[in-house]
Amino acid sequence: MLFNSYAFLLVFLPVAIVVYRFADPYPRLRMPVLVALSLVFYGYWDVRFLPLLAGSILINWLAAKYYLATRRGVVVTAAIAANLLVLGVFKYLNFFAETLASLSGAAFGPFALALPLGISFFTFHHIMYLVDLRKGKAPEYALDRYAMYIAFFPQAIAGPIARWSEVMQQFGRQVYAPGWQRQFALGATFIVLGLIQKILLADPIGHLIDPVYAQAKLGPVPAGNSWLALGFGFQILFDFSGYSDIAIGLGLLFGVRLPYNFDAPLRSSSVQDLWQRWHMTLMAFLRDYLFHPLANARIGRRHRLLQHFAALILTMALCGLWHGASWTFVLWGTLHGCALVIVSLWRRYGWPLPFLLGWAMTVVFALLSAVIFRAGTLEAAWRIYQGLASLPDWGAVSGARPIFLAALVAFLLPATQDIVAWLNARPRAVIAAALGLAAVALLVELGDQDAYEFVYFQF
Amino acid sequence: MSSSTSSSDAPGAETDALVWGRWLAAFLGALALGAAAIFALVLAVDPYDSGRFGILGIEGVYDESPRTANASRARDPQFDSALFGNSTGQLLKPSELSRLTGARFVQLTVPGTGPREQLAIMDFFLRHHPRPGAIVLVTDASWCQRDPALPLQHPFPFWLYGESTLDYAGRLFSSRALGRTWRRVLLAMGLRQRSAPDGYWDYEAKGPGEFAPPIAAQNDAAPASGPVSESFPGVTLLGDALKKLPADVPVVLAMPPTFSSMLPRAGSAAKAEEDACKAALRRVIAGRPRSNFIDYRVDNALTRDRANFMDFGHYRAIIARRMEQGIAESIKSGDKARIEF
Repeated sequence: MLFNSYAFLLVFLPVAIVVYRFADPYPRLRMPVLVALSLVFYGYWDVRFLPLLAGSILINWLAAKYYLATRRGVVVTAAIAANLLVLGVFKYLNFFAETLASLSGAAFGPFALALPLGISFFTFHHIMYLVDLRKGKAPEYALDRYAMYIAFFPQAIAGPIARWSEVMQQFGRQVYAPGWQRQFALGATFIVLGLIQKILLADPIGHLIDPVYAQAKLGPVPAGNSWLALGFGFQILFDFSGYSDIAIGLGLLFGVRLPYNFDAPLRSSSVQDLWQRWHMTLMAFLRDYLFHPLANARIGRRHRLLQHFAALILTMALCGLWHGASWTFVLWGTLHGCALVIVSLWRRYGWPLPFLLGWAMTVVFALLSAVIFRAGTLEAAWRIYQGLASLPDWGAVSGARPIFLAALVAFLLPATQDIVAWLNARPRAVIAAALGLAAVALLVELGDQDAYEFVYFQF
Repeated sequence: MSSSTSSSDAPGAETDALVWGRWLAAFLGALALGAAAIFALVLAVDPYDSGRFGILGIEGVYDESPRTANASRARDPQFDSALFGNSTGQLLKPSELSRLTGARFVQLTVPGTGPREQLAIMDFFLRHHPRPGAIVLVTDASWCQRDPALPLQHPFPFWLYGESTLDYAGRLFSSRALGRTWRRVLLAMGLRQRSAPDGYWDYEAKGPGEFAPPIAAQNDAAPASGPVSESFPGVTLLGDALKKLPADVPVVLAMPPTFSSMLPRAGSAAKAEEDACKAALRRVIAGRPRSNFIDYRVDNALTRDRANFMDFGHYRAIIARRMEQGIAESIKSGDKARIEF
């Protein structure tokens, strides 16, 4: 069930809160109850993949236990390889088969495989733990705690990608301890602000630009409409930032502080800055578990800078591929990798850019490159770019209010966590009542629309 | 978490619990009261005038969309007979049919609909008029689909016409329902005019129409091969629906005309398919008194003249007036009616 659905907001969430309230006084029950609720949540999406999730938890936990008993590194290596293999089969088999077919001329696939929800996210969670286990940084955990780490429903489907060290000790703590009212107030504020981003900012842009991208797949985009397609950068920002904020709010309702994922990224002054503020938990994972090993590998001392840049581009290309099994994602990631290299070189050899110039270049690059991310094929992306040669169709632009509104919010407002802190600097009933009424308005709005899935679920 | 959202500056844990407890009470209170107020308003007004709720006695709706407005019309006691179909029936005037037959007709066609939607509206009408004067259904090509799923072209509010009050109530908490509620309030205050109670609106007024893109007659090239089944999922559903009608209620099925170039060629598979569908439709009303299947989907001088059509599939008023006469004659004389077309 989607976070932005009646089934979740009016049924699952209230039931989960009440059920957990009864379990909370009993320390032994806390984690098993939350794991059970999380499995119900996951199973509601697609019950076929419940055994995959449960099996994945059990096998990785057993591998960790076996490794600690024997200290045989090959166990961890095999477990990581198995995780990547499962991800590869479900997510990339058809992509590799298609690529191989186009290179060799032979026919492979396509194979009828459905993508298990959240597999990209829980695979990373396993890898983070296993790598740190072998380094001696991570301790052994009981099965219920490890299951919580992987399946905790607020973040199981699309993150934030929490490190084991950030959340493990929080699981199983008493939620209804002194101060819980404040945590709930913060949680409710995060959820309402997340729903506002999703329902009022992201979804209206989707309604506006989906036909433009659909047209781009079929043929040339009518003159001027391509400009609307640039709105995708704002749509995916508020779609995913909204989702992350709802997840963070839900975490607080169950006593877990999940890490922040966005920090007003479209106010960045460079691409480097952008990637420190956009999908922050993914970037932290990629930095620590991919980029650093690549950049620090002992390949040769003479070309350290070159190795550093190559690692940067490769990391971002793989970041693109993680988003989807398509060469357009790889291209998008590679472009961002190259941009990061250019910014890095500029910092070294260029002169300081005025903030506004750096900001404008960053936003333009982010919006233009997002077209490749969304278009699905290079041909469709190219048609959108060609359409930008014509001036905007003012008739279409006048209907583009959702994009302008989202742009204003993205450029002018601080990150959600700062807004939440400001709204709740001290308890004010008037703020609480306003948020309650906003929640009513959002529920009314939800009553109509066919709930759009969060864009990030497909990754 | 930044420190500003993770620690408390309140002087003591008890005060902290109290003030943040009040915060939560204000949040949940506003949520509950706001939701209750909205729900009470929509229940009091009954935004679609479906007859399930509503205590303010507002008559009719101010709603341009027949998809939703027809619920109000279908339960209106001033009518006893109804006309169903999609845009290919919209130009038929209920007032003309009433004048010619003496029955009291309401127009319940909805553009862009097929069998499932039209049968849902018919069912709703019959629940409010168990002994109707007459039923007229404009059966265009959508009734001749073979797909048992009878896929919808556009979303349709089945919950509005269904039997479940709970389903209906569940749909009232929405911005669309709130919009309709506001419109009915304006109606009650005399600030807006009620949409036509008999459901007629001039389909020709929506624009000049155009004969584009040029669509070739379906499957025309393929020659007929062997007998064609007369089992059409839509027609089967219609047969089941008509069985629930009192046996003496006249039913007229009218297959609407299209521009002649759209007709399949003799001997083609498409022609055999169309003939099978017509035979199936004829069969569902066979034996019913004062009932008839009228085939206007023919090649003649009227259907060869572009001036009589807005586009390939939609006839103009001149043809609508002829059809009204044929339908009225059928309600009087059944399949013995003299149809001039």
